[in-house]
Amino acid sequence: MKRLRRAAVVTELADRLREAGSWCGETHLQKACYFLQQLLGVPLEYEFILYRYGPFSFELREELVEMRADGLLELRPAPPYGPGILATEASAELRSQFPKTLSRYGEAINYVAGRLGDKWVTDLESLATALYVHEEEKRDSVDSIASRMRELKPRISEEEAESAASELLRMLQQYLPSIEQA
Amino acid sequence: MAKIVHEFRDPIHVFIRVDTHERKIVDTRPLQRLRYVHQLALSYLVYPGATHRRFEHSLGVMELAGRVFDVVTAPGNLGAEVLKLLPDLANEDARRYWRRAIRVAALCHDIGHLPFSHAAEHELLPEGWDHERLTRELIQSPEMVEIWNSVIPPLRPEHVVKLAVGRKKAKDLEFSPLEELLSEIVVSDAFGVDRVDYLLRDSHHAGVAYGRFDHYRLIDTLRILIPATGEAPTLGVEEGGLLSAEALLLARYYMYSQVYFHPVRVIYDIHLQRFLSEWLPGGQFSTDIEGHLRMTDNEVIAAMFEAARTPGSPGHDSAKRVVERNHFRILWTRNPDDLRKNPDAGRVLSLRAKEQFDAVEHSKKVGGGGTEDFPVLMRDGRVVSSVALSETLEKLPAIASEFVFVAPERQEEASRWIEGKRDEILQEMKEAEE
Repeated sequence: MKRLRRAAVVTELADRLREAGSWCGETHLQKACYFLQQLLGVPLEYEFILYRYGPFSFELREELVEMRADGLLELRPAPPYGPGILATEASAELRSQFPKTLSRYGEAINYVAGRLGDKWVTDLESLATALYVHEEEKRDSVDSIASRMRELKPRISEEEAESAASELLRMLQQYLPSIEQA
Repeated sequence: MAKIVHEFRDPIHVFIRVDTHERKIVDTRPLQRLRYVHQLALSYLVYPGATHRRFEHSLGVMELAGRVFDVVTAPGNLGAEVLKLLPDLANEDARRYWRRAIRVAALCHDIGHLPFSHAAEHELLPEGWDHERLTRELIQSPEMVEIWNSVIPPLRPEHVVKLAVGRKKAKDLEFSPLEELLSEIVVSDAFGVDRVDYLLRDSHHAGVAYGRFDHYRLIDTLRILIPATGEAPTLGVEEGGLLSAEALLLARYYMYSQVYFHPVRVIYDIHLQRFLSEWLPGGQFSTDIEGHLRMTDNEVIAAMFEAARTPGSPGHDSAKRVVERNHFRILWTRNPDDLRKNPDAGRVLSLRAKEQFDAVEHSKKVGGGGTEDFPVLMRDGRVVSSVALSETLEKLPAIASEFVFVAPERQEEASRWIEGKRDEILQEMKEAEE
């Protein structure tokens, strides 16, 4: 996916996350893009690694800065937390140039925003780490995913890891069949 | 009795001291090579004083890494929660090991730089290579491994690699929470000592005041903190250091805008890259360690002058542009009005201009951003995001520069052309859907 088309998807996602109740900090956007790409197959082509707060893409961070420089995103304070990211009017104009792209990925964007929009940062870290373990290490059971999560992120409690692994497996059961049908 | 502590005089830090083990590293070929690699590439053609080299910057980064390590790991500055997550910091032997490792990693963080530092490394190295990968190869080379084994305490090469290049450039390696934090001290975009030293040093040598800030106060107030959102420990500041942190980020903004992204420096980088692409065998630098160690700015400068004097030789035209200071001139500069019409304005305009005039170059650079949010330890013990406390940081813009350049002999004609065609060209959305 080329840069401007990707910017249309990311700014649309930022709007949808805010509508779903998120203050849309960088962590929210990072994790939502990770789900969009890894779980729902939207070809954003970011490289994610398991970083300090779970899956993270340096390339996405650089593009978010570029989108700010290009007037497509703005920062808004969200005290006492870090800044929220807001899509601008210029981004709405950009998105109007990509109706087919947004129509193609609209359902996926809405699904991710709806599932992640009201989540706290640490819950997002756990859920995204569960997806990372599932994807990278092909683990499919709650126990197996949760125990590996605890090895990778000892800060995540046993209860949090199991809860995140269960939620991920429910998401996989719920959403993947509809993708396969499409 | 033989000296065990040795001093370097330095214009930024006055004295930089190394012990005998660290001096062995300073004396290695990879470190000594940096005496012949300009820190700011061809910026000395714009700022005549900017002739300083990577060598003294590397010493400065080592000095600052040690200072920051001592402050943030001082027992009185570590919270109980942080110690629980980073237990090595409570162990004196481990602390001594990591202090050595971070100073050495800081010293070596730039040994993989190509001649003229950053200029065009992505175009001039094979796919998958950059200066950080060369740094890794050098740190793990037999010559350096022998050194790591001989220092006290002996160092594991992979620790030096991780702290020297950071997670972003070593995605294949697993970092412990402590390794991530220590690499952040060296290379992070916010408070990394690499950045602290280069802003102060480049500002000093270029003769511009923009890069100065109170780094003494900043370093004194750095702390390892757990952000309000409950994420992993990271570098932040005490409330009293917030103004110094703002000053650092403003210094970075001005230095990028005025020095690093200066249009004449940018076009010289492009001319240099064009020359190197034609002059180097296969158009690329060697990634072999001996080949890398043999190549410095001196070899490139000698070749460039020779090529400029010799019509028909590889890279002659580009070399002449640099040597005779007949660089391309600005045809278009990034501006909000054009970006509103087309967020890809520079690329679209440069493509059309190139079809028309051929001798056209385009450059877009974006820097900063993503770093204004760091945890601040309030006097009442709360940890709050910097952006919630500082209007300055909240409003700090992302740094971007973009230019379209044209050969001076076509500048007048091209300027008239772009004035007439600008709006029509900007209507094009080159990436629009099929």
